[in-house]
Amino acid sequence: MIAPFELHFMSRALTEIVLLALICGPVSVFVYARRLSFVSDALTHTVFPGVVIGFVAGGLEGVFIGALVAALLTAVVLTVLTRGARVSDDTATAVVLTAMFSIGVVLVSRRSSYTSDLTSFLFGRLLTVTPHQIAETAVLAAVVLVALLIGARAMIFRTFDPAGAAAAGYRIAWIDLWLNVIVALVVVAAVRAVGTILVVALLIVPAAAARMVTDRLAVMAVLGTVLIAGVGYAGLLLSWTASLSYGVALTSASSVVLLLVAAYLLLIPVRLIRDRRRGSPPPVPERNSAHELVG
Amino acid sequence: MTLALRYAGVSLGYQGRAVLTDVNLELRAGQRLALVGPNGAGKSTLIKSMLGLVPVLRGEAEVLGGERGRAGYVPQTDTLDADFPISVRRVVMMGRYRRIGWWRPARTEDRRAVAEALDRVGLADRASHRFGTLSGGQRQRVLLARAIAAEPRLLLLDEPFNGVDVVSQEAIVRVLRELSADGAALVVSTHDFAVARELADLVCLLNGRQWAVGPPAETLTAGPLRRTYGGSVVDLDNDMVLIEP
Repeated sequence: MIAPFELHFMSRALTEIVLLALICGPVSVFVYARRLSFVSDALTHTVFPGVVIGFVAGGLEGVFIGALVAALLTAVVLTVLTRGARVSDDTATAVVLTAMFSIGVVLVSRRSSYTSDLTSFLFGRLLTVTPHQIAETAVLAAVVLVALLIGARAMIFRTFDPAGAAAAGYRIAWIDLWLNVIVALVVVAAVRAVGTILVVALLIVPAAAARMVTDRLAVMAVLGTVLIAGVGYAGLLLSWTASLSYGVALTSASSVVLLLVAAYLLLIPVRLIRDRRRGSPPPVPERNSAHELVG
Repeated sequence: MTLALRYAGVSLGYQGRAVLTDVNLELRAGQRLALVGPNGAGKSTLIKSMLGLVPVLRGEAEVLGGERGRAGYVPQTDTLDADFPISVRRVVMMGRYRRIGWWRPARTEDRRAVAEALDRVGLADRASHRFGTLSGGQRQRVLLARAIAAEPRLLLLDEPFNGVDVVSQEAIVRVLRELSADGAALVVSTHDFAVARELADLVCLLNGRQWAVGPPAETLTAGPLRRTYGGSVVDLDNDMVLIEP
Protein backbone atom coordinates (compact mmCIF):
# COMPACT_ATOMS: atom_id res chain seq x y z
CA MET A 1 0.00 0.00 0.00
CA ILE A 2 2.92 2.33 0.69
CA ALA A 3 5.57 0.86 -1.59
CA PRO A 4 4.45 2.65 -4.80
CA PHE A 5 4.76 6.00 -3.01
CA GLU A 6 8.46 5.37 -2.38
CA LEU A 7 8.90 6.23 -6.03
CA HIS A 8 9.55 9.94 -6.52
CA PHE A 9 6.89 10.59 -9.13
CA MET A 10 4.23 8.89 -7.01
CA SER A 11 5.11 10.73 -3.81
CA ARG A 12 5.19 14.03 -5.70
CA ALA A 13 1.78 13.33 -7.16
CA LEU A 14 0.44 12.55 -3.69
CA THR A 15 2.00 15.72 -2.24
CA GLU A 16 0.37 17.77 -5.00
CA ILE A 17 -3.03 16.19 -4.34
CA VAL A 18 -2.77 16.77 -0.58
CA LEU A 19 -1.87 20.45 -1.16
CA LEU A 20 -4.86 20.79 -3.48
CA ALA A 21 -7.06 19.04 -0.89
CA LEU A 22 -6.13 21.69 1.69
CA ILE A 23 -7.62 24.45 -0.46
CA CYS A 24 -10.26 22.64 -2.48
CA GLY A 25 -11.99 21.35 0.67
CA PRO A 26 -12.75 24.77 2.19
CA VAL A 27 -13.24 26.57 -1.16
CA SER A 28 -15.71 23.94 -2.34
CA VAL A 29 -17.87 24.79 0.70
CA PHE A 30 -18.29 28.33 -0.63
CA VAL A 31 -18.78 27.13 -4.20
CA TYR A 32 -21.52 24.86 -2.87
CA ALA A 33 -23.17 27.45 -0.62
CA ARG A 34 -23.06 30.27 -3.20
CA ARG A 35 -24.17 27.80 -5.91
CA LEU A 36 -21.18 28.81 -7.96
CA SER A 37 -20.75 25.44 -9.64
CA PHE A 38 -21.30 26.95 -13.06
CA VAL A 39 -18.95 29.87 -12.36
CA SER A 40 -16.25 27.40 -11.33
CA ASP A 41 -16.90 25.42 -14.48
CA ALA A 42 -16.57 28.62 -16.49
CA LEU A 43 -13.30 29.51 -14.78
CA THR A 44 -11.80 26.13 -15.60
CA HIS A 45 -12.66 26.69 -19.27
CA THR A 46 -11.60 30.32 -19.49
CA VAL A 47 -8.23 29.44 -18.02
CA PHE A 48 -7.71 27.23 -21.08
CA PRO A 49 -6.64 29.95 -23.57
CA GLY A 50 -4.33 31.34 -20.88
CA VAL A 51 -2.78 27.92 -20.47
CA VAL A 52 -2.27 27.59 -24.22
CA ILE A 53 -0.81 31.08 -24.68
CA GLY A 54 1.46 30.52 -21.69
CA PHE A 55 2.63 27.21 -23.11
CA VAL A 56 3.32 28.63 -26.56
CA ALA A 57 5.19 31.60 -25.13
CA GLY A 58 7.15 29.97 -22.34
CA GLY A 59 6.78 26.20 -22.43
CA LEU A 60 5.53 24.31 -19.37
CA GLU A 61 6.67 27.06 -17.01
CA GLY A 62 4.70 29.65 -18.96
CA VAL A 63 1.49 27.74 -18.34
CA PHE A 64 1.37 28.97 -14.76
CA ILE A 65 1.53 32.69 -15.60
CA GLY A 66 -0.84 32.29 -18.55
CA ALA A 67 -3.41 30.50 -16.40
CA LEU A 68 -3.04 33.03 -13.59
CA VAL A 69 -3.63 36.04 -15.86
CA ALA A 70 -6.62 34.41 -17.61
CA ALA A 71 -8.19 33.30 -14.33
CA LEU A 72 -7.90 36.67 -12.60
CA LEU A 73 -9.24 38.41 -15.70
CA THR A 74 -12.23 36.06 -15.78
CA ALA A 75 -12.90 36.55 -12.06
CA VAL A 76 -13.12 40.31 -12.62
CA VAL A 77 -15.22 40.04 -15.79
CA LEU A 78 -17.69 37.61 -14.21
CA THR A 79 -18.07 39.80 -11.11
CA VAL A 80 -18.74 42.90 -13.21
CA LEU A 81 -21.15 41.14 -15.58
CA THR A 82 -23.27 39.55 -12.86
CA ARG A 83 -23.28 42.64 -10.65
CA GLY A 84 -26.71 44.10 -9.97
CA ALA A 85 -28.23 41.22 -11.95
CA ARG A 86 -28.15 43.23 -15.16
CA VAL A 87 -27.53 39.99 -17.01
CA SER A 88 -28.63 36.71 -15.45
CA ASP A 89 -25.67 34.94 -13.85
CA ASP A 90 -25.97 31.90 -16.08
CA THR A 91 -26.20 33.79 -19.38
CA ALA A 92 -23.20 36.01 -18.67
CA THR A 93 -21.17 33.08 -17.46
CA ALA A 94 -22.05 30.93 -20.46
CA VAL A 95 -21.04 33.66 -22.91
CA VAL A 96 -17.66 34.18 -21.24
CA LEU A 97 -17.09 30.41 -20.94
CA THR A 98 -17.75 29.51 -24.56
CA ALA A 99 -15.94 32.53 -26.00
CA MET A 100 -12.76 31.91 -24.03
CA PHE A 101 -12.78 28.14 -24.54
CA SER A 102 -13.08 28.44 -28.30
CA ILE A 103 -10.20 30.90 -28.36
CA GLY A 104 -8.18 28.26 -26.52
CA VAL A 105 -9.10 25.56 -29.02
CA VAL A 106 -8.22 27.81 -31.98
CA LEU A 107 -4.85 28.61 -30.43
CA VAL A 108 -4.00 25.01 -29.60
CA SER A 109 -5.05 23.73 -33.01
CA ARG A 110 -2.30 25.80 -34.63
CA ARG A 111 0.29 23.58 -33.04
CA SER A 112 1.58 20.37 -34.61
CA SER A 113 1.20 18.23 -31.49
CA TYR A 114 -2.42 19.30 -31.29
CA THR A 115 -4.11 16.25 -29.76
CA SER A 116 -1.49 15.37 -27.16
CA ASP A 117 -1.28 18.98 -25.97
CA LEU A 118 -5.05 19.26 -25.82
CA THR A 119 -5.34 16.06 -23.79
CA SER A 120 -2.79 17.17 -21.24
CA PHE A 121 -4.44 20.59 -20.83
CA LEU A 122 -7.86 19.02 -20.41
CA PHE A 123 -6.89 16.12 -18.15
CA GLY A 124 -3.64 17.22 -16.56
CA ARG A 125 -0.38 15.43 -15.88
CA LEU A 126 -0.50 14.38 -12.27
CA LEU A 127 2.40 11.94 -12.48
CA THR A 128 4.86 14.38 -14.04
CA VAL A 129 4.47 17.08 -11.40
CA THR A 130 7.87 18.66 -10.70
CA PRO A 131 9.20 19.90 -7.34
CA HIS A 132 9.02 23.40 -8.81
CA GLN A 133 5.30 22.97 -9.56
CA ILE A 134 4.73 21.66 -6.04
CA ALA A 135 6.41 24.77 -4.65
CA GLU A 136 4.14 26.98 -6.80
CA THR A 137 1.08 25.07 -5.64
CA ALA A 138 2.19 25.45 -2.02
CA VAL A 139 2.55 29.23 -2.41
CA LEU A 140 -0.87 29.50 -4.08
CA ALA A 141 -2.39 27.30 -1.38
CA ALA A 142 -1.00 29.58 1.33
CA VAL A 143 -2.38 32.67 -0.45
CA VAL A 144 -5.79 31.04 -0.87
CA LEU A 145 -5.97 29.95 2.79
CA VAL A 146 -5.09 33.44 4.02
CA ALA A 147 -7.64 34.98 1.64
CA LEU A 148 -10.27 32.54 2.91
CA LEU A 149 -9.45 33.31 6.53
CA ILE A 150 -9.82 37.05 5.93
CA GLY A 151 -12.97 36.82 3.84
CA ALA A 152 -14.80 33.84 5.35
CA ARG A 153 -16.99 35.79 7.77
CA ALA A 154 -18.13 38.33 5.19
CA MET A 155 -18.60 35.66 2.52
CA ILE A 156 -20.78 33.52 4.81
CA PHE A 157 -22.91 36.56 5.72
CA ARG A 158 -23.24 37.58 2.05
CA THR A 159 -24.10 34.04 0.99
CA PHE A 160 -26.74 33.51 3.64
CA ASP A 161 -28.35 36.95 3.53
CA PRO A 162 -27.19 39.36 0.79
CA ALA A 163 -29.64 42.11 1.79
CA GLY A 164 -28.69 41.81 5.45
CA ALA A 165 -24.98 41.91 4.61
CA ALA A 166 -25.45 45.00 2.43
CA ALA A 167 -27.49 46.60 5.22
CA ALA A 168 -24.67 45.86 7.66
CA GLY A 169 -22.36 47.88 5.43
CA TYR A 170 -20.62 45.16 3.45
CA ARG A 171 -19.83 45.88 -0.23
CA ILE A 172 -21.40 42.88 -1.94
CA ALA A 173 -19.57 43.32 -5.25
CA TRP A 174 -16.17 43.33 -3.53
CA ILE A 175 -17.02 40.20 -1.53
CA ASP A 176 -18.13 38.46 -4.74
CA LEU A 177 -14.89 39.48 -6.46
CA TRP A 178 -12.94 38.16 -3.47
CA LEU A 179 -14.54 34.71 -3.78
CA ASN A 180 -14.24 34.64 -7.58
CA VAL A 181 -10.53 35.43 -7.28
CA ILE A 182 -10.10 32.67 -4.68
CA VAL A 183 -11.80 30.17 -7.00
CA ALA A 184 -9.63 31.42 -9.86
CA LEU A 185 -6.46 30.85 -7.83
CA VAL A 186 -7.55 27.32 -6.94
CA VAL A 187 -8.16 26.57 -10.60
CA VAL A 188 -4.69 27.88 -11.48
CA ALA A 189 -3.13 25.80 -8.70
CA ALA A 190 -4.86 22.62 -9.81
CA VAL A 191 -5.00 22.96 -13.57
CA ARG A 192 -1.61 21.47 -14.51
CA ALA A 193 -1.98 18.47 -12.25
CA VAL A 194 -5.57 17.46 -12.92
CA GLY A 195 -6.47 19.47 -16.04
CA THR A 196 -9.16 22.04 -16.74
CA ILE A 197 -12.02 19.55 -16.88
CA LEU A 198 -11.27 17.67 -13.67
CA VAL A 199 -10.56 20.74 -11.52
CA VAL A 200 -14.25 21.43 -11.44
CA ALA A 201 -14.88 18.09 -9.74
CA LEU A 202 -12.52 19.05 -6.92
CA LEU A 203 -14.42 22.33 -6.47
CA ILE A 204 -17.92 20.92 -6.42
CA VAL A 205 -18.04 17.32 -5.23
CA PRO A 206 -16.21 17.51 -1.84
CA ALA A 207 -18.63 19.97 -0.21
CA ALA A 208 -21.67 18.33 -1.78
CA ALA A 209 -20.53 14.98 -0.40
CA ALA A 210 -19.72 16.42 3.04
CA ARG A 211 -23.13 18.11 3.17
CA MET A 212 -24.67 14.65 3.19
CA VAL A 213 -23.25 13.92 6.64
CA THR A 214 -23.04 17.30 8.39
CA ASP A 215 -24.92 20.58 8.88
CA ARG A 216 -21.85 22.60 9.80
CA LEU A 217 -19.77 24.64 7.35
CA ALA A 218 -16.48 24.14 9.19
CA VAL A 219 -16.99 20.37 9.39
CA MET A 220 -17.88 20.37 5.68
CA ALA A 221 -14.54 22.06 4.91
CA VAL A 222 -12.54 19.55 6.95
CA LEU A 223 -14.44 16.54 5.59
CA GLY A 224 -14.01 17.83 2.05
CA THR A 225 -10.26 18.09 2.55
CA VAL A 226 -10.00 14.62 4.07
CA LEU A 227 -12.11 13.23 1.25
CA ILE A 228 -9.90 14.68 -1.51
CA ALA A 229 -6.72 13.54 0.22
CA GLY A 230 -8.23 10.08 0.73
CA VAL A 231 -9.42 9.61 -2.84
CA GLY A 232 -6.14 11.15 -4.01
CA TYR A 233 -4.19 8.40 -2.28
CA ALA A 234 -6.62 5.67 -3.33
CA GLY A 235 -6.85 6.95 -6.90
CA LEU A 236 -3.09 6.99 -7.39
CA LEU A 237 -2.86 3.49 -5.95
CA LEU A 238 -5.70 2.34 -8.18
CA SER A 239 -4.17 3.64 -11.40
CA TRP A 240 -0.79 2.22 -10.35
CA THR A 241 -2.26 -1.23 -9.70
CA ALA A 242 -4.44 -1.12 -12.79
CA SER A 243 -1.59 -0.34 -15.13
CA LEU A 244 1.08 -2.54 -13.53
CA SER A 245 -0.89 -5.62 -12.53
CA TYR A 246 -3.65 -5.60 -15.13
CA GLY A 247 -2.20 -3.62 -17.98
CA VAL A 248 -5.12 -1.19 -18.01
CA ALA A 249 -4.11 2.37 -18.84
CA LEU A 250 -6.07 4.32 -16.25
CA THR A 251 -4.90 7.96 -15.93
CA SER A 252 -4.32 8.89 -12.32
CA ALA A 253 -6.32 12.15 -12.32
CA SER A 254 -9.40 10.49 -13.76
CA SER A 255 -9.24 7.62 -11.26
CA VAL A 256 -9.03 10.20 -8.45
CA VAL A 257 -12.13 11.94 -9.76
CA LEU A 258 -13.97 8.66 -10.36
CA LEU A 259 -13.39 7.68 -6.73
CA LEU A 260 -14.52 11.15 -5.60
CA VAL A 261 -17.80 10.80 -7.46
CA ALA A 262 -18.18 7.23 -6.14
CA ALA A 263 -17.77 8.54 -2.58
CA TYR A 264 -20.47 11.14 -3.28
CA LEU A 265 -22.88 8.50 -4.57
CA LEU A 266 -22.19 6.25 -1.57
CA LEU A 267 -23.05 9.10 0.80
CA ILE A 268 -26.46 9.87 -0.76
CA PRO A 269 -28.24 7.17 1.32
CA VAL A 270 -26.68 8.67 4.48
CA ARG A 271 -28.41 11.96 3.73
CA LEU A 272 -31.70 10.24 3.04
CA ILE A 273 -31.53 8.32 6.32
CA ARG A 274 -30.65 11.51 8.24
CA ASP A 275 -33.52 13.42 6.65
CA ARG A 276 -35.98 10.66 7.44
CA ARG A 277 -34.83 10.33 11.03
CA ARG A 278 -35.11 14.06 11.61
CA GLY A 279 -38.39 14.53 9.79
CA SER A 280 -39.24 17.76 8.02
CA PRO A 281 -39.73 20.92 10.14
CA PRO A 282 -43.29 21.53 11.37
CA PRO A 283 -45.39 23.49 8.87
CA VAL A 284 -45.97 27.15 9.67
CA PRO A 285 -49.61 27.75 10.62
CA GLU A 286 -51.41 30.00 8.15
CA ARG A 287 -52.79 33.26 9.41
CA ASN A 288 -56.23 34.16 8.22
CA SER A 289 -57.21 37.54 9.53
CA ALA A 290 -59.58 39.96 7.88
CA HIS A 291 -56.74 42.47 7.80
CA GLU A 292 -54.88 40.33 5.33
CA LEU A 293 -57.54 40.83 2.70
CA VAL A 294 -55.40 43.76 1.67
CA GLY A 295 -52.86 43.23 -1.08
CA MET B 1 -34.73 64.44 21.87
CA THR B 2 -32.46 63.20 19.10
CA LEU B 3 -33.97 62.68 15.68
CA ALA B 4 -33.49 59.17 14.34
CA LEU B 5 -34.97 59.99 10.95
CA ARG B 6 -35.68 63.18 9.08
CA TYR B 7 -37.10 62.97 5.57
CA ALA B 8 -38.11 66.23 3.90
CA GLY B 9 -39.74 66.15 0.43
CA VAL B 10 -37.90 62.95 -0.46
CA SER B 11 -38.29 61.02 -3.72
CA LEU B 12 -36.71 57.59 -4.02
CA GLY B 13 -36.07 55.35 -6.99
CA TYR B 14 -33.73 53.43 -9.19
CA GLN B 15 -31.82 54.78 -12.20
CA GLY B 16 -33.48 58.16 -11.95
CA ARG B 17 -37.02 56.75 -11.97
CA ALA B 18 -38.98 57.54 -8.82
CA VAL B 19 -40.97 54.72 -7.20
CA LEU B 20 -41.89 56.65 -4.05
CA THR B 21 -42.39 60.41 -3.73
CA ASP B 22 -43.36 63.13 -1.23
CA VAL B 23 -41.94 61.42 1.86
CA ASN B 24 -41.98 63.75 4.85
CA LEU B 25 -41.15 62.07 8.15
CA GLU B 26 -39.64 62.78 11.51
CA LEU B 27 -38.94 59.95 13.92
CA ARG B 28 -37.48 60.49 17.38
CA ALA B 29 -35.55 58.02 19.53
CA GLY B 30 -37.94 55.62 21.24
CA GLN B 31 -40.74 56.12 18.69
CA ARG B 32 -42.32 53.30 16.67
CA LEU B 33 -43.27 53.99 13.06
CA ALA B 34 -45.40 51.65 10.96
CA LEU B 35 -45.19 51.85 7.15
CA VAL B 36 -48.56 50.75 5.85
CA GLY B 37 -49.57 50.20 2.24
CA PRO B 38 -50.37 47.56 -0.36
CA ASN B 39 -47.74 45.33 -2.00
CA GLY B 40 -45.46 47.37 -4.24
CA ALA B 41 -46.37 50.59 -2.41
CA GLY B 42 -42.72 51.42 -1.75
CA LYS B 43 -42.44 50.24 1.87
CA SER B 44 -39.33 48.15 1.24
CA THR B 45 -37.87 50.91 -0.93
CA LEU B 46 -38.26 53.39 1.91
CA ILE B 47 -36.62 51.00 4.39
CA LYS B 48 -33.76 50.31 1.97
CA SER B 49 -33.23 54.05 1.53
CA MET B 50 -32.77 54.32 5.30
CA LEU B 51 -29.97 51.76 4.95
CA GLY B 52 -28.42 53.70 2.09
CA LEU B 53 -29.23 50.97 -0.44
CA VAL B 54 -31.64 53.06 -2.54
CA PRO B 55 -30.58 56.51 -3.75
CA VAL B 56 -32.47 59.67 -2.75
CA LEU B 57 -33.47 61.39 -6.01
CA ARG B 58 -34.83 64.57 -4.49
CA GLY B 59 -35.26 66.14 -1.08
CA GLU B 60 -33.31 65.66 2.12
CA ALA B 61 -32.97 62.40 4.02
CA GLU B 62 -31.06 62.24 7.27
CA VAL B 63 -30.57 58.95 9.15
CA LEU B 64 -29.22 58.95 12.73
CA GLY B 65 -27.48 62.25 12.12
CA GLY B 66 -25.16 60.57 9.61
CA GLU B 67 -24.36 57.56 11.83
CA ARG B 68 -26.04 55.08 9.51
CA GLY B 69 -23.89 52.25 10.86
CA ARG B 70 -26.07 52.17 13.97
CA ALA B 71 -29.16 51.17 11.97
CA GLY B 72 -30.16 47.50 12.23
CA TYR B 73 -32.13 45.58 9.60
CA VAL B 74 -34.44 42.58 9.92
CA PRO B 75 -35.22 41.03 6.51
CA GLN B 76 -38.18 38.77 5.77
CA THR B 77 -37.23 35.26 6.72
CA ASP B 78 -38.64 33.68 3.56
CA THR B 79 -36.01 35.51 1.49
CA LEU B 80 -33.37 33.27 3.11
CA ASP B 81 -32.30 29.76 2.10
CA ALA B 82 -33.72 27.36 4.71
CA ASP B 83 -31.30 24.63 3.62
CA PHE B 84 -28.22 26.73 4.42
CA PRO B 85 -26.00 24.81 6.87
CA ILE B 86 -25.76 27.41 9.62
CA SER B 87 -26.62 27.37 13.32
CA VAL B 88 -28.97 29.81 15.02
CA ARG B 89 -26.06 31.09 17.14
CA ARG B 90 -23.98 31.92 14.11
CA VAL B 91 -26.83 33.78 12.43
CA VAL B 92 -27.18 35.98 15.52
CA MET B 93 -23.40 36.44 15.67
CA MET B 94 -23.62 38.09 12.22
CA GLY B 95 -25.07 41.07 14.07
CA ARG B 96 -21.68 41.47 15.72
CA TYR B 97 -19.53 40.99 12.57
CA ARG B 98 -19.00 44.69 11.90
CA ARG B 99 -17.72 45.16 15.46
CA ILE B 100 -15.56 42.05 15.42
CA GLY B 101 -13.94 42.89 12.09
CA TRP B 102 -12.90 40.71 9.17
CA TRP B 103 -10.94 37.90 10.75
CA ARG B 104 -10.43 38.45 14.49
CA PRO B 105 -12.20 35.78 16.61
CA ALA B 106 -15.33 36.76 18.54
CA ARG B 107 -14.70 38.07 22.06
CA THR B 108 -16.48 37.17 25.27
CA GLU B 109 -18.63 40.29 25.03
CA ASP B 110 -19.74 39.30 21.52
CA ARG B 111 -20.77 35.85 22.71
CA ARG B 112 -22.57 37.38 25.68
CA ALA B 113 -24.46 39.80 23.41
CA VAL B 114 -25.52 36.88 21.20
CA ALA B 115 -26.72 34.83 24.18
CA GLU B 116 -28.64 37.80 25.60
CA ALA B 117 -30.28 38.60 22.28
CA LEU B 118 -31.42 34.98 21.85
CA ASP B 119 -32.71 34.94 25.41
CA ARG B 120 -34.65 38.12 24.73
CA VAL B 121 -36.57 36.58 21.82
CA GLY B 122 -37.12 33.40 23.85
CA LEU B 123 -34.93 31.09 21.76
CA ALA B 124 -31.92 30.57 24.06
CA ASP B 125 -32.51 26.81 23.97
CA ARG B 126 -32.31 26.72 20.17
CA ALA B 127 -28.84 28.27 19.82
CA SER B 128 -27.18 25.17 18.41
CA HIS B 129 -30.06 24.15 16.13
CA ARG B 130 -29.74 24.62 12.41
CA PHE B 131 -31.51 27.84 11.35
CA GLY B 132 -33.56 26.12 8.66
CA THR B 133 -35.08 23.59 11.08
CA LEU B 134 -36.97 26.31 12.99
CA SER B 135 -40.50 27.42 12.13
CA GLY B 136 -41.07 30.63 10.14
CA GLY B 137 -41.94 32.58 13.27
CA GLN B 138 -38.91 31.32 15.16
CA ARG B 139 -36.65 32.18 12.23
CA GLN B 140 -38.06 35.70 12.22
CA ARG B 141 -37.25 35.95 15.93
CA VAL B 142 -33.69 34.77 15.26
CA LEU B 143 -33.29 37.56 12.70
CA LEU B 144 -34.65 40.02 15.26
CA ALA B 145 -32.10 38.69 17.78
CA ARG B 146 -29.39 39.27 15.19
CA ALA B 147 -30.44 42.90 14.86
CA ILE B 148 -30.60 43.29 18.66
CA ALA B 149 -27.07 41.86 19.01
CA ALA B 150 -25.84 44.78 16.89
CA GLU B 151 -27.24 47.21 19.50
CA PRO B 152 -28.95 49.45 16.94
CA ARG B 153 -30.28 52.95 17.59
CA LEU B 154 -32.67 52.57 14.68
CA LEU B 155 -34.24 49.21 13.89
CA LEU B 156 -35.82 48.55 10.48
CA LEU B 157 -38.10 45.55 10.03
CA ASP B 158 -39.47 44.48 6.64
CA GLU B 159 -42.87 42.75 7.08
CA PRO B 160 -41.79 40.92 10.26
CA PHE B 161 -45.21 39.35 10.80
CA ASN B 162 -45.65 37.70 7.41
CA GLY B 163 -46.36 33.99 7.81
CA VAL B 164 -45.57 34.19 11.52
CA ASP B 165 -47.50 32.16 14.13
CA VAL B 166 -49.33 33.90 16.97
CA VAL B 167 -46.78 32.96 19.66
CA SER B 168 -43.93 34.42 17.63
CA GLN B 169 -45.94 37.53 16.72
CA GLU B 170 -46.59 38.22 20.41
CA ALA B 171 -42.93 37.63 21.26
CA ILE B 172 -41.82 40.01 18.50
CA VAL B 173 -44.28 42.74 19.53
CA ARG B 174 -43.17 42.45 23.18
CA VAL B 175 -39.46 42.70 22.28
CA LEU B 176 -40.08 45.66 19.97
CA ARG B 177 -41.88 47.51 22.77
CA GLU B 178 -38.96 46.83 25.13
CA LEU B 179 -36.44 48.03 22.56
CA SER B 180 -38.25 51.30 22.00
CA ALA B 181 -38.62 51.76 25.78
CA ASP B 182 -34.81 51.45 25.88
CA GLY B 183 -34.59 54.32 23.40
CA ALA B 184 -34.33 52.64 20.00
CA ALA B 185 -36.37 54.10 17.13
CA LEU B 186 -38.32 51.47 15.16
CA VAL B 187 -39.61 51.30 11.61
CA VAL B 188 -41.90 48.36 10.80
CA SER B 189 -43.46 47.78 7.39
CA THR B 190 -46.73 45.87 7.38
CA HIS B 191 -49.97 45.53 5.48
CA ASP B 192 -51.81 44.46 8.62
CA PHE B 193 -53.79 47.40 10.08
CA ALA B 194 -54.33 45.67 13.44
CA VAL B 195 -50.60 45.15 13.94
CA ALA B 196 -49.90 48.76 13.00
CA ARG B 197 -52.52 50.01 15.45
CA GLU B 198 -51.24 47.77 18.25
CA LEU B 199 -47.59 48.56 17.77
CA ALA B 200 -47.03 52.02 16.36
CA ASP B 201 -47.04 55.59 17.71
CA LEU B 202 -46.86 56.84 14.16
CA VAL B 203 -48.30 55.44 10.95
CA CYS B 204 -47.17 56.40 7.48
CA LEU B 205 -49.56 55.48 4.65
CA LEU B 206 -47.76 54.76 1.40
CA ASN B 207 -48.76 53.90 -2.14
CA GLY B 208 -46.35 55.31 -4.69
CA ARG B 209 -46.25 58.44 -2.55
CA GLN B 210 -46.80 59.28 1.07
CA TRP B 211 -50.54 59.82 1.59
CA ALA B 212 -50.64 60.48 5.31
CA VAL B 213 -48.51 60.41 8.42
CA GLY B 214 -49.60 60.67 12.04
CA PRO B 215 -50.86 58.73 15.05
CA PRO B 216 -52.87 55.56 14.26
CA ALA B 217 -56.09 57.19 15.45
CA GLU B 218 -55.77 59.82 12.69
CA THR B 219 -54.32 57.74 9.87
CA LEU B 220 -55.90 54.30 10.15
CA THR B 221 -59.34 55.73 9.47
CA ALA B 222 -61.67 55.46 6.52
CA GLY B 223 -60.69 58.70 4.77
CA PRO B 224 -56.89 58.38 4.60
CA LEU B 225 -57.08 54.63 3.94
CA ARG B 226 -59.48 55.16 1.03
CA ARG B 227 -57.19 57.80 -0.45
CA THR B 228 -54.15 55.52 -0.08
CA TYR B 229 -55.65 52.31 -1.40
CA GLY B 230 -58.13 53.78 -3.82
CA GLY B 231 -60.71 51.18 -2.72
CA SER B 232 -63.62 51.11 -0.36
CA VAL B 233 -63.16 50.73 3.35
CA VAL B 234 -65.57 49.05 5.72
CA ASP B 235 -65.57 50.10 9.35
CA LEU B 236 -66.15 47.00 11.52
CA ASP B 237 -66.30 48.01 15.17
CA ASN B 238 -63.60 50.61 14.68
CA ASP B 239 -61.49 48.02 12.85
CA MET B 240 -60.82 48.90 9.23
CA VAL B 241 -61.27 46.26 6.57
CA LEU B 242 -60.43 47.04 3.01
CA ILE B 243 -62.42 45.78 0.04
CA GLU B 244 -60.47 45.71 -3.20
CA PRO B 245 -61.94 48.05 -5.83
